[in-house]
Amino acid sequence: MFPSAFRRFAFAFGAVFAVLYVLAVAKKLSLFTVYPSLGLVVWGARYSRDVVDPALGFLAPAMYWYGWTATAALGALVVGLLAAVIPERWTRRIPLGWLPWVVPTLAMLGCVYLTLPWFSLKP
Amino acid sequence: MVSVLLIVHALVAVALLGAITHQTLSTWAAASTRPGSFFGRFRTVPSAAFANAVIVLYAVTAILGAIVYLYFRVDVRPALEQASRWVALGVFDLKEHFIAIGLALLPAYFVCWRHPRDEALRRTRTALTSMLAFIVWWGFLVGHVMNDIRGLGE
Repeated sequence: MFPSAFRRFAFAFGAVFAVLYVLAVAKKLSLFTVYPSLGLVVWGARYSRDVVDPALGFLAPAMYWYGWTATAALGALVVGLLAAVIPERWTRRIPLGWLPWVVPTLAMLGCVYLTLPWFSLKP
Repeated sequence: MVSVLLIVHALVAVALLGAITHQTLSTWAAASTRPGSFFGRFRTVPSAAFANAVIVLYAVTAILGAIVYLYFRVDVRPALEQASRWVALGVFDLKEHFIAIGLALLPAYFVCWRHPRDEALRRTRTALTSMLAFIVWWGFLVGHVMNDIRGLGE
């Protein structure tokens, strides 16, 4: 029972994390924002331009990567635990083997798409 | 301090690169490979033996990278933005995205390698190992190039 439940958790966690991560990046759903130069961590996605003049934003650069990762991890943990506790007979006929690699591969392509604006900027 | 962290981060990444590359090549090597050949010797090493090392090394590399990333954001990225190194910043962003997705794949990777002879998991095992190898190589090369463009502690 345990190995099967853990397998469902692990496969669901990896796939759901990838989807939620792309959503978090696309929709700027950061669980918290880190200001490394100030040594501050604040809840939610905050932008320097919201609190200081945009021209001074460089003084307090904000980081969202940690927050995006935490958002996706939290969501994936919930779904993963749900996947682990549902009866095995519900998932027996579903081919779960493709889940932890097809979905993250698509998510990585999604990340490439979201990063494309960097490559269109002129030097 | 940050230079020491960066060097340790790189050294752990080198160990990870070796382990995941060895495992991936041995996973892909055909069963008909001649025993005495280079790939034949690869296949004689039990691939599953690398799994725990890969998980620990990936996690340690990611944690060290996450710490160094704080210094990168303050000391390096503004200089790259001023120099209009947009492509470098773009591929570095991809590195961060891929590393996060790879980190979440470690439990599934662990499950797959826990039963290395389970034929039902063979395709998933090969795909996950290959994905992690791609992510590790991407992270290593991009990190190396970024450090060449502008390193920390300058």
